Amino acid sequence: VTGELTVGLLGAGMIAGVHAHAYRESPGVRLVAVADPVPGKAERLAEQYGARVVADLDALLALGVDVVDICTPPTAHADATVAALGAGRHVLCEKPITRTLAEARRVLAAAQTATGLLSIGQAARYGPDHRAARDLVTAGEIGQVRMLTHSTTTSLPGWSEAGWLADPATSGGPLLDQAVHSFDYAGWVIGSPAVRVHCMAADSGAGPATYTLTTVRYDNGAIAHVECSWAHPASRGFKLQCEIAGTAGRIAWSYDQLMGGVLHARDGGTEWWDVLGDREFTHELRDFFDAVRAGGPAPVPATEATESLRTALAALESARTGRTIDLTAWEAPS
Amino acid sequence: MTVTERPTGVAILGAAHLGHVWAYSRALTESPNARVVGVHDPEREHTRWIHQDFGVPPADDVEALLASPEVDAVLVCSANADHRADVELAASFGKHVLCEKPIATTLEDAHAMVAACADAGVQLHLAFVSRFLPLVGRARAAVRDGRLGELVGLVGGNRGRPPLPPSYPAWITDPVAAGGGALIDHSVHVTDVMRHVSGLEVAEVSAEAAALLWDCGVDDVALVSLRFDNGAVGSVDPSWSVPADHPWDYDFFLRLLGTEGSLDISDGAEAVQVVSTREGAPRGLRQAPFGEDADRAMIEAFLASVRTGVVQEPCATGEDGVRALEVALAGYRSAATGRAVGLG
Repeated sequence: VTGELTVGLLGAGMIAGVHAHAYRESPGVRLVAVADPVPGKAERLAEQYGARVVADLDALLALGVDVVDICTPPTAHADATVAALGAGRHVLCEKPITRTLAEARRVLAAAQTATGLLSIGQAARYGPDHRAARDLVTAGEIGQVRMLTHSTTTSLPGWSEAGWLADPATSGGPLLDQAVHSFDYAGWVIGSPAVRVHCMAADSGAGPATYTLTTVRYDNGAIAHVECSWAHPASRGFKLQCEIAGTAGRIAWSYDQLMGGVLHARDGGTEWWDVLGDREFTHELRDFFDAVRAGGPAPVPATEATESLRTALAALESARTGRTIDLTAWEAPS
Repeated sequence: MTVTERPTGVAILGAAHLGHVWAYSRALTESPNARVVGVHDPEREHTRWIHQDFGVPPADDVEALLASPEVDAVLVCSANADHRADVELAASFGKHVLCEKPIATTLEDAHAMVAACADAGVQLHLAFVSRFLPLVGRARAAVRDGRLGELVGLVGGNRGRPPLPPSYPAWITDPVAAGGGALIDHSVHVTDVMRHVSGLEVAEVSAEAAALLWDCGVDDVALVSLRFDNGAVGSVDPSWSVPADHPWDYDFFLRLLGTEGSLDISDGAEAVQVVSTREGAPRGLRQAPFGEDADRAMIEAFLASVRTGVVQEPCATGEDGVRALEVALAGYRSAATGRAVGLG
């Protein structure tokens, strides 16, 4: 199928803006409409990208869009995904797949009978740095992966509407919003189910449990360690470090080394040019649309994203209780 | 009144920690403040390189060596499980002691060593050389000056090559003689620096540890998570996860987060990058460090402590050795049981 794919965007926040920009790198894809419950928000995005504004998901579906791109807070993911799949549409849903495991199960059930494709926006898999490292692993360059450490540290992100990100009930905090990328990437690279999770978390000025250290054990014996922080000074920026140790080698990189240029203005001000840009998202969306045209499979299956969510929820539970969570037997409290 | 003091006389008791005893012997023999009287190790082969390279004379009779009035202090570099006997012996001769880390392989041994030195009225130092890294000193000052506020998170690592023969003696990967693998070998450095820099104590430990990389019979990959007494959390990566031909062999890093700021330090900053195609040179890109020799700084501080009779900053004591060992042993317990382990 080479025909045009039309997209309706549900949510007009930060990540929706990134997606809207990235569609332009996907040939044959057109953003036709944007819906957001906050007055004026959808308008700003729609105007910029030549789309129309509609009231809600039902209106998006009524327009007959091929694809619904769900960029809402996670508490709204499940209902929207189930409804869009039920209407026969393809769905790209932001991470985490849902806020709770019960919701994720509803989504998985809907996906099983759906005619449309469902893929989850675990975008870290598409970062050119992350992808290159995973390709090296897959090619056997470092043997079998035995340890992976992934660290993302930043200040409390300021982009969320009315600060929903800072509300653990909505966002799940840094473990669900940010570390879920790390858990997903680690699971993808290690290629074995997570079996044991321990997390120690500390409160900070950014909120409860906003500095977290999680250790994950996998069925094949590998160990992952995930540092995830919203508690760092804003002036430090967003930093990522990753190391992968295998039986035949080691891969490591950090965002500090991914600054390909720096512009110093004589009258003050410094601009750092990171080499990644938004390729993570253009690659993610292109891969998704390619999969839609090919009739599947989903680039990031909901089953895998559910496991990443489950690991993140277990880390939350471990941080709360002080216990190590045995994932082979664990049922998340709903 | 001017008194010309003779250099501090040092005997070496146990040289099984081949690499460390070599570096300490170099620092001692090159220091104007020390004279190495002799080395005793039941295994003569252990003493070969420090004899050959630095002229340290082997001594067969350990009692005679320790009884010598020329000996003021003893450096213990035997296998970890032998530290207790050697430290107790040195203390029984009234000599101050610098003991290689970890202090011992059991808490019972470690406490006995501290008590023996206290009873004998001699100093017991632990060779936590990372304290003497200039960046660690600066980090400590920054934290103590309140520039980070109250600490919230501490992440550190000391990764390295697997200590396999022929470069390393076999006992280092013997679970009894060494007390374990990477976790006990490297975590004690990082735990000690965290305590030293922060002034905090560890209250709870959770860990994973396993033999995953080198098939060397002990844990070579480990990750130790810590809860400190102020509620801060931390983690330590002590893994032997550095492969052959890697640009560096060992690293040391520390990332601190506080209510008022954060601080990241790494010893990798003190190096130039080199590629050599000379016959026999290591392959590929290498980091050639230009950092100051922390071993020398530690040895000089030990000598000054012996000379003045007062433990000098920032020397680590037997008590510090006990604290770091407690964390490592709790880590092993946690890894075995899948449960966090409380301390104290």
